[in-house]
Amino acid sequence: MKRFRRHAHESQRERLKQELFHFNKTVEHGFPHQPSALGYSPSLQLLAIGTRSGAIKLYGAPGVEFMGLHDENAAVTQVHFMPHQVELVTLLDDNSLHMWTLRGHKGISELLEIGRFMLTGPPGAPPSVTSVTAVLAHSSGELLLLGTEGGHVFVVEVPGFRELEERNISLDQITNSIPDDYLGRRNLEHVEALVENPINPSQVVIGYGRGLMVIWDLEKKNAVQHLPATQQLESMWWTEDGSHILSSHSDGSYCRWRVGGPEEEEEEEEKSDIPYGHFPCKAISKIVQLPTEEGPPFLLFNGGMPRASYGDRHCITVIHGKTHVALDFTSRIIDFFVIRSGPQHTGDPSALVVLVEEEVVVIDLQTEGWPVIQTPYLVPLHSSAITCSHHVSAIPLKLWERIITSGELQNAHYSKKPWPIMGGQNLAPDPPQRDLLLTGHEDGTVRFWDASGVCLKPMYTLRTATAFHTDADPNDNMNPSAEGEWPPFRKVGCFDPYSDDPRLGIQKIHLCKYSGHLAVAGTAGQILMLEPNDEAAEHTVETKVVDLLQGQEGFRWKGHTRLNVREDPVEFPAGFQPFTLVQCQPPAVVTALSLHSEWKLVAFGTSHGFGLFDYQQNNNVFVRCTLNPSDQLALEGPLSRVKSIKKSLRQSFRRIRRSRVSLRKHHANNAAKIQEANARMEAELAEMELAPVQRKIEARSSDDSFTGLVRTLYFADTFLSDSTHHTPSLWAGTNGGCVFAYMIRLPAIEHRADEPVTAQPAKEIQLMHRAPVLGIVVLDGHGAPLPEPLEVAHDLARSPDMQASHHVVVTSEEQFKVFTLPKVSSKMKLKLTAVDGSRVRRVGVAWFGSSRTEDYGESGLVVLTNQGDVHVVSLPHVKMQVHYPCIRREDVSGIASCVFTRQGQGFYLISPSEFERFSLSTRFLVEPHCLVEPPFHSAPLSQHQPEPDGAHRIPQDGEEAESTARSIMEHALLNDEKVLQEIQKSLEGDQTSFLENSMKSAVA
Amino acid sequence: MNRSFNKSQPLRNPNCNAVEVKSKYGAEFRRFSLDRVKPGKFEEFYKLILHIHRIANMEVLIGYADVHGDLLPINNDDNFCKAVSTAHPLLRIFIQKQEEVDFSNFGNNTLTRKKKAVVTLRNSDINRKRPHIRIGMPQDFRPVSSIIDVDILPESHRRVRLFRHGSEKPLGFYIRDGTSVRVTPHGLEKVPGIFISRMVPGGLAESTGLLAVNDEVLEVNGIEVTGKSLDQVTDMMIANSHNLIVTVKPVNQRNNVVRSSRMSGSSGQSSDSGGSTGYPSLSVATVREMSSGAHSYHDDLESDEDGDIVIESNIKRPSQRSNASPASNASRTHHQTPTAPPVRTASSSPPSRPVSVISTASFQSQTSLNGGSHEQHTQPLHHSSNPALRHSNGSLHKILSSLKTDPRHSLALPKGGVEEDGTVITL
Repeated sequence: MKRFRRHAHESQRERLKQELFHFNKTVEHGFPHQPSALGYSPSLQLLAIGTRSGAIKLYGAPGVEFMGLHDENAAVTQVHFMPHQVELVTLLDDNSLHMWTLRGHKGISELLEIGRFMLTGPPGAPPSVTSVTAVLAHSSGELLLLGTEGGHVFVVEVPGFRELEERNISLDQITNSIPDDYLGRRNLEHVEALVENPINPSQVVIGYGRGLMVIWDLEKKNAVQHLPATQQLESMWWTEDGSHILSSHSDGSYCRWRVGGPEEEEEEEEKSDIPYGHFPCKAISKIVQLPTEEGPPFLLFNGGMPRASYGDRHCITVIHGKTHVALDFTSRIIDFFVIRSGPQHTGDPSALVVLVEEEVVVIDLQTEGWPVIQTPYLVPLHSSAITCSHHVSAIPLKLWERIITSGELQNAHYSKKPWPIMGGQNLAPDPPQRDLLLTGHEDGTVRFWDASGVCLKPMYTLRTATAFHTDADPNDNMNPSAEGEWPPFRKVGCFDPYSDDPRLGIQKIHLCKYSGHLAVAGTAGQILMLEPNDEAAEHTVETKVVDLLQGQEGFRWKGHTRLNVREDPVEFPAGFQPFTLVQCQPPAVVTALSLHSEWKLVAFGTSHGFGLFDYQQNNNVFVRCTLNPSDQLALEGPLSRVKSIKKSLRQSFRRIRRSRVSLRKHHANNAAKIQEANARMEAELAEMELAPVQRKIEARSSDDSFTGLVRTLYFADTFLSDSTHHTPSLWAGTNGGCVFAYMIRLPAIEHRADEPVTAQPAKEIQLMHRAPVLGIVVLDGHGAPLPEPLEVAHDLARSPDMQASHHVVVTSEEQFKVFTLPKVSSKMKLKLTAVDGSRVRRVGVAWFGSSRTEDYGESGLVVLTNQGDVHVVSLPHVKMQVHYPCIRREDVSGIASCVFTRQGQGFYLISPSEFERFSLSTRFLVEPHCLVEPPFHSAPLSQHQPEPDGAHRIPQDGEEAESTARSIMEHALLNDEKVLQEIQKSLEGDQTSFLENSMKSAVA
Repeated sequence: MNRSFNKSQPLRNPNCNAVEVKSKYGAEFRRFSLDRVKPGKFEEFYKLILHIHRIANMEVLIGYADVHGDLLPINNDDNFCKAVSTAHPLLRIFIQKQEEVDFSNFGNNTLTRKKKAVVTLRNSDINRKRPHIRIGMPQDFRPVSSIIDVDILPESHRRVRLFRHGSEKPLGFYIRDGTSVRVTPHGLEKVPGIFISRMVPGGLAESTGLLAVNDEVLEVNGIEVTGKSLDQVTDMMIANSHNLIVTVKPVNQRNNVVRSSRMSGSSGQSSDSGGSTGYPSLSVATVREMSSGAHSYHDDLESDEDGDIVIESNIKRPSQRSNASPASNASRTHHQTPTAPPVRTASSSPPSRPVSVISTASFQSQTSLNGGSHEQHTQPLHHSSNPALRHSNGSLHKILSSLKTDPRHSLALPKGGVEEDGTVITL
């Protein structure tokens, strides 16, 4: 009976677990790693980026994001949207073509792969015959023209990927059409580019690598015109009026060819130019020319720089009338496109969108000076390498607005124009709270990101380097463009991976969301205390040097020196401004940081010890050295460590050599012995090489390295000395499994400014398993974690239960242990490493709300292990609740970058530039919900020829579909008979897959 | 050891060297005394016991409670002598009928468990009862290793237990990845395995002779290593290093324990395949066994052998804080094992040192064999640590380094121990 009850209880618990926990990877923030292809649909206003790892990502209006992954782990080399449709085609570098669609499902769209295709040549043909080099998505929406390395053009019907063999354009057909006098019929090489005539969809121009371009009529199946360029072809562009073709070439030249016209003139190059000429230039890999309503056209091209002097620049040149700018990008240019204004996107060019390897840059072409438009997404998180991150949930509106205001002041140089890519609708509900993600970077900046929703929006950038003297003066190198320089470079983009000084790197961040106090700690033992100020101010930063060694003898710091603080007053811009600098001595990396804004105390730790600083009085309260006397490595700094490995290698080689020499010396007369010695040595060397990876099995002892490294610091108001009086306390955990607790005495509030804060040691716990201590949490009488400072004061948390006894939960890499307070005795524990060999890497406290009832929730520890698994451990009973695989175990940097939120979500870096967001909670979930409507291709196009496609794209849901179809029909009647036929055909049963899909979903 | 016993010497000796003996059989008590210096022979003592308790025609087993509360058997002259000489102040004797003896109670329990065990002694819990080899366990030897669970493992496997506290030596071995051959339904298959790659000369592992290079590691403290990476297994072993139990398939299959006579011809050379295939299913049985049979093994998995050390400062209320330190003079060490008598040391700690109480916090009892020895040697170390404390400004590290039993100076980083903040420490 009892057993039965217990069973019932367990099943109830299982049900509760399902209501509380659910693992989901929700969205990827940041910039896709290693982008390799760019596509854009003007009708959908969607941007597509393909990556080298085979991912395809679509972006529209902020919050509208789709992601797909090809099964093949091959790079995406080309992305083409089918004109006026919701389909897109990708070409991978394994020569496979994939058709994707945005399918409506339950009111939201999802990206779905609906077909794949690989060209098959005739049997026995070399693979180059079918190796696709150029793709043209024909404006009819039904055809795909594939140019190949063999020089053939294959025609494929989509979306079924049916080869239309009779329409293929073979190389023979082309060569036969070439007049005999043309260049002696030499090899035309591969198809470099395929472009459709904008006013006559039956005409395409086929550009061959060797330079010949052939205008081909698809209907009549004959060559219309030959454009014999002499240089290797890079790209082509057919001007919008259909009158000219532009070709760009590998020698940095471009040519303008007249289309049609009198037969005699057809081979005449109307204009050829090497824009950055005289000296040899690099290839122009893409050229675009767009007309304006009034005034000269825009000419844009990629590359063409003088090889010797600027061959390493990544430039796009924009020429409009007299304005000529060479936009100088931060990394290799993948591709670019131009967005045009107007309802049909046929007006003046409004924005230039450039995808470079590390970022997306959008340039406003309608505003004087062509300023950059700030991107709301696709922001390079790694503009300088991320060194740490910190998440703060539920920011009060006041602080939020102050951060936004400060950020806007920084963004004054950005264009005021709204973001030009606005496809799709974001249907996700407004985020329930304002969440802030802070990232610390190698160059000493702290970036504030709005992490409330799907879009990780940059809000504000804090530069801590301004407080220090650095080698690079911030004033130079900003405006390098002198008058009259040629080419007229202009630097654009923010990716800058080169740090002036690695000591500036940010290691730990702690922000108090109520007071706005921010503590930022860095690589050279610097801890900056900052507070927000809405106005720029000039002041000096007060420095306090804290000696963590406390006069311990015989220690030598061989690492870096500390940063030089600027003693003169510094002008700080509006935003967070430093008021105090605590400098640890020796200036080792700050490894732990905690801020208690209510008590106005900040605690910091390095590999040498930890200290407590009173930032109200600017006074150090105490310092504790945690060094183990035998720990030489920690004393000498990080540099000696590398050296020692080098040294040991060198020594071992020397030893081998010496033994050889000495053997020679002593037994020079004895050849046999030398041989023997050589053989032995060879065997030794072979053993060194062949020795497999071994692991030493040895119990940890107190004299292992870095036992004194402080891993965690925690403030708690709890019972430390006796069970009747609770006092402020500071807890510290070290790498050697040691926990120190200090009791803090704060003066009464009215004397806070003048009476000193004091602290005294209260407890030391040495965990016998000696694993590094990663987290310390004090639980109140109810077993709930103590609230954050000022949380209760702001009525945002229940005040902790101070009646029943408190417990402290110590999380080490190997175990979770609960100790009673004030008398420290072990009460419960959960072993991790001893049982499954995984170790805790990251731990956080989170609150999980039940998905079923609004009022139920529990706190738990969220844990990430070195195996990349995420666990939830219940509090206060430290029982394992759930575990999910999350990160690949080989992805060390991903595991190290993980940060948890208070609501059971988390972020980790999947690449240097992307955060993956995951959620363990059933209640808090941030994921994209968006809808992309198929475009109504309707309005009569003045110059653009009316395409019959698109009209049969009918939105989902029966009646609505019918009514829209009718409106289209009416519209079409007025314009084009062809359209009408199309519609009727589609309504009568030749329904497209889209319609079918939507019907299916409607039924479902 | 005192081996000069005189046959003519009477067992009852009413001089000041007398040891008070309290002998218990069933519910009956008898009290008598023995000479501490010359207790006599075991046989005589045995007869005396039978006589005193009026036991006739029955084989009994005599046990005693040692200073640590462990129940140890008296079955030869040596351990009888040991029992008498260490008795303080009273020698407690427990007599059990031979057929009711629960051997598993011997040795491996601390006093707390002992209390329970004494009760079960008479209740004779049938479930826990299992045959046991009768071996004397003199307390002045510390176990360094043992082969356990011979009865439930395939003969080709060996389960070795290494006692870290029992030895001054480092564990001293290395493991590597390798491939082993298993018999599967699809025939022989190569599977990845973990092997012992190297022994540190003079290390515990080598000195036991129970482990050898190229032995395949199958389990660590009852958990199979299949499917686990080398680093995972390393971490598991290190996490269990205070009481490491490894199940191996020895590379040398000639020295296996032979359980049944039928195997005698091939001297236990059970084929690799047989052992390996049998293994997975057997390990399930092993787990079940652990809860019933292999009690000590099971307990070790559950209990917390690694008592953490807690140093509590003698904190006055904040108001009186200023005069706190001189008052905390007397240092007291005690083990928190509930029934263990607190050992008081008269030594005074320096006035500057606020740390005053050192206690071992453990929420379950120590494992018997470890517990006993642990207590034995930590206690004097507290004394010896005091001078160190005077110089050391109370750093726990120094206490611990003085507490440390094995003087290993390995600088080997625990794998992954500090790699976390990649930018902090670059290896």
